[in-house]
Amino acid sequence: MSNYIYIASYFLFFVTLLYSFILNFIRYMHMFQLNSYHASEQFKWIKENMGEVLKRHVPSLLAAAFAFVSCFIMNGTLYGVNPVGISHTEDVLGSHMIYEPYKANTWDLLICSILIITGLYLCKSKPAKKKLVFTPRVIRMCATSAILYGAVCALSMIFLFYSGLNLSVLCLWQVFSLFMPMIANFINKPIEKGVNNHYINDAKRIISELPNLVTIGITGSYGKTSTKFYLNKLLSAKYNVLMTPESYNTTMGVVKTVRGSLNATYDFFICEMGAKGVGEIKEICDIVKPKHSMITSIGEQHLETFKSVDNIIKTKFEIADCITDGTVYLNYDNEYIRNRQINKNVISYGLSAESDYYADNISVTVKGTSFTVHHGEEKGDFSTKLIGGHNVQNIVGAIAAANTLGVSFAELKTPVRRLEAVPHRMEIIDKGGSVIIDDAFNSNPAGAKAALDTLALMEGYKILITPGMVELGEKEYELNKSFGSQAAEVCDYVIAVGEKQAKAIIDGLKEAGYPEEKSFVAGDLNGALAKADSLNAGESRKIVLLENDLPDNY
Amino acid sequence: MKIRVGVFFGGKSVEHEVSVISAIQAFNAFDREKYDVIPVYITKDNEFYTGEYAGKIEEYRDIPALIRKSTRVIVVNDGGRTKLVRYPMKKFGDSTEAEIDVAFPVVHGTNVEDGALQGYFQTLNIPYAGCDVVSSAVGMDKYVMKAVLKDNGIPVLDCVTVTALEYAKDSDKIIDETEQKIGFPAIVKPINLGSSVGIKIGRDKDGLAEALDYAFTFSGRVLVERAITNLREINCSVCGDKDEAEASECEEPIGSDEILSFEDKYVSGGAKESKSSGMASLKRKIPADISKETREEIRSVAVKAFKCLGCSGVSRIDFMIDSDENKVYLNEINTIPGSLAFYLWESVGVKYPRLLDKMVSLALKRERELKNLNFTFKSNILAEAKLGGVKGGKLNG
Repeated sequence: MSNYIYIASYFLFFVTLLYSFILNFIRYMHMFQLNSYHASEQFKWIKENMGEVLKRHVPSLLAAAFAFVSCFIMNGTLYGVNPVGISHTEDVLGSHMIYEPYKANTWDLLICSILIITGLYLCKSKPAKKKLVFTPRVIRMCATSAILYGAVCALSMIFLFYSGLNLSVLCLWQVFSLFMPMIANFINKPIEKGVNNHYINDAKRIISELPNLVTIGITGSYGKTSTKFYLNKLLSAKYNVLMTPESYNTTMGVVKTVRGSLNATYDFFICEMGAKGVGEIKEICDIVKPKHSMITSIGEQHLETFKSVDNIIKTKFEIADCITDGTVYLNYDNEYIRNRQINKNVISYGLSAESDYYADNISVTVKGTSFTVHHGEEKGDFSTKLIGGHNVQNIVGAIAAANTLGVSFAELKTPVRRLEAVPHRMEIIDKGGSVIIDDAFNSNPAGAKAALDTLALMEGYKILITPGMVELGEKEYELNKSFGSQAAEVCDYVIAVGEKQAKAIIDGLKEAGYPEEKSFVAGDLNGALAKADSLNAGESRKIVLLENDLPDNY
Repeated sequence: MKIRVGVFFGGKSVEHEVSVISAIQAFNAFDREKYDVIPVYITKDNEFYTGEYAGKIEEYRDIPALIRKSTRVIVVNDGGRTKLVRYPMKKFGDSTEAEIDVAFPVVHGTNVEDGALQGYFQTLNIPYAGCDVVSSAVGMDKYVMKAVLKDNGIPVLDCVTVTALEYAKDSDKIIDETEQKIGFPAIVKPINLGSSVGIKIGRDKDGLAEALDYAFTFSGRVLVERAITNLREINCSVCGDKDEAEASECEEPIGSDEILSFEDKYVSGGAKESKSSGMASLKRKIPADISKETREEIRSVAVKAFKCLGCSGVSRIDFMIDSDENKVYLNEINTIPGSLAFYLWESVGVKYPRLLDKMVSLALKRERELKNLNFTFKSNILAEAKLGGVKGGKLNG
């Protein structure tokens, strides 16, 4: 009978161990995915979320410590019963531990199980904005982790069962769920590389079989997704166009689009290219071989991984390097772009008369924007539903490319008027009583300022909800602080989300002399929205600007 | 990589065999430098078959044997790609038989040319050539077509519509009314069948009754219009879409009877001519022996009719000239004409491969324009709805 109870309690212990491992593993894998599978970013996340990590693992560490004491040091005498006969034989070193058959006691197992379960309930995850996606890569990492985890457990059971160390090793091993995603990623690197190369070669083959396809590459620190959407709509007025969807701008994202959607019916392929490090854009260019390319802006995005602004400039211009006899479209309003001389066929665009295509006569209202585009002697009046002065730059870039590729100004008028807001980029959501301007995907200071300028034009009780901007390197505090000061001039109420970046914004508000009772710090987006909901706007309509929403790993 | 075109033909229609002929002609004419063409035969039970034999005309002498040699497939949209999947699916491995970029229906008659097949492709999100659902349906319904054309100032003969039920209730009344409104001789046509099936002329009351009885065996709705005594039939094809269209050469088909019968159109062709050349082998006069003014009148009315009916691709429009009154009337439109009227286009210098090329471009253009419009709402309205709230009333109340 006691044998069955013993087996049952070992079983219970393993179940809780496994359950705990899996839940923790999934949580860390989720964060790892959001950190683009970069170990350095994962470690940074661990450091910043040490509280959560400790909550998840301290109980297991306690269990390991307890097991060590109870099974190994005290050898079951804790319970006043010695279940197994001990033979004391002294070895050369005078220790008597190695040859004695120690085994974990039923009570040990139960206590450890309880401790591990406690660890689980101490840390409940918040519902995620973007869930963990079980891509084939993730599944491969899970398989490797499962094998590794199982192997260690098996080895421990086989070799350490009678050593009194089994239980504590197993509990300690649970803590490894913290590092397991990174370990599995490392082990899988050769497989992933092989799989990726196979896909990349397949994509290259497809591109080579479509000699008549004209590919246009678009990159930039910001504005590239918006410009890509607009160019797609404008070119589609006359041609069959495929664009990389949503924010698929990594090498494997582009490869997926080429393999999944590209076929012989398309005249143009618009390929958005993103990068966090040097050489990443060249890698994509080698696969899709663009005929023309466009650089929408250069800013200080992802400064941590790029290390310097020069690297950013160099990387963005990789998209120009690979152009042979095509055209490079450059936003000459951007100083970094303007100052870089390149030896290619360039068409410039922007808001100043020095550019080949420039817009003036810009009128920004709540209902939309209108402007006049000039190209040499030719000019055209355009109007659009989109708001935000900075959007005009993006539209002019799209018009410049579409026009040189064969769509006349007259043919462009209707598609420009029909342009819709790109999701989460100055997207107006009219809820009858209140209006939300969803600018959640904006992440740069220029865009944030433009959003505030647009908010200033509107009538109503203006509320700003923002967690601040991230990935701006050393200047992050400064830029967030000035954002706060800018907000002070426009908003009737400011809600900062999350303690970390919020401080800079609050400081900025204080510096501008903004009254403290008109600001609030919320823990998360839901809290912020609830606060906005509860505010009394009197007779006016509430206008809420959601500026930059951070993903779950911040 | 070439553009992959799936040619669909056959179907549950009285003109099943005719469409096989038209389709194989088209299948052979595609420019193989630019296109990969896959033949998909639709049986009279609406089952789809493909395979290396489905594109060979000789195989259709023994259709059961052809089906045994071919693979049954279902058309499915898998992640934005249109696949022909073997049915039943294989237990192991990939069941995809082929993938297509564009569907190219070459079908004639009710159940296929009237928008049914077009609607099927549209639901599967496949770009397809030819008229869309609405224009296909309108083109197949002789009465609705007349109403739309009349509204656009295009000359058509006035008509009276009769349903089988009305006729059964009081046939004498119907005949009297028809005599009053239309007079004799009158021609009776089923409203939604093509290819001269069920058509008869009545020269007096008895003749009219006979014609109506005959027509009602084929369809539940018929129309009666004046039968032109001194009749010349002139056909003209139009290619393009609602934005831009052009007309082909005009032809005068020559028939043995007063009106072209099914036999004339599709079974004719003596021992010398191949039995399988369909409309192309019909005795015809190209170009038609008409004055320059008449030719231009017919061609411009054809284009106008094509556009106001919202057609796309290649259609053939059949006209009637009343030689007594010297007037031109539009008889009917064929949204998928036999042999795709390629012989009319060769006369104006457009070779068949180029015609097919244009049809594929038009299909892709329409697809592109559809993509530029919004059809689904971005947000899930249900997710935000207060189900059972104040306005909606309680769900379980």
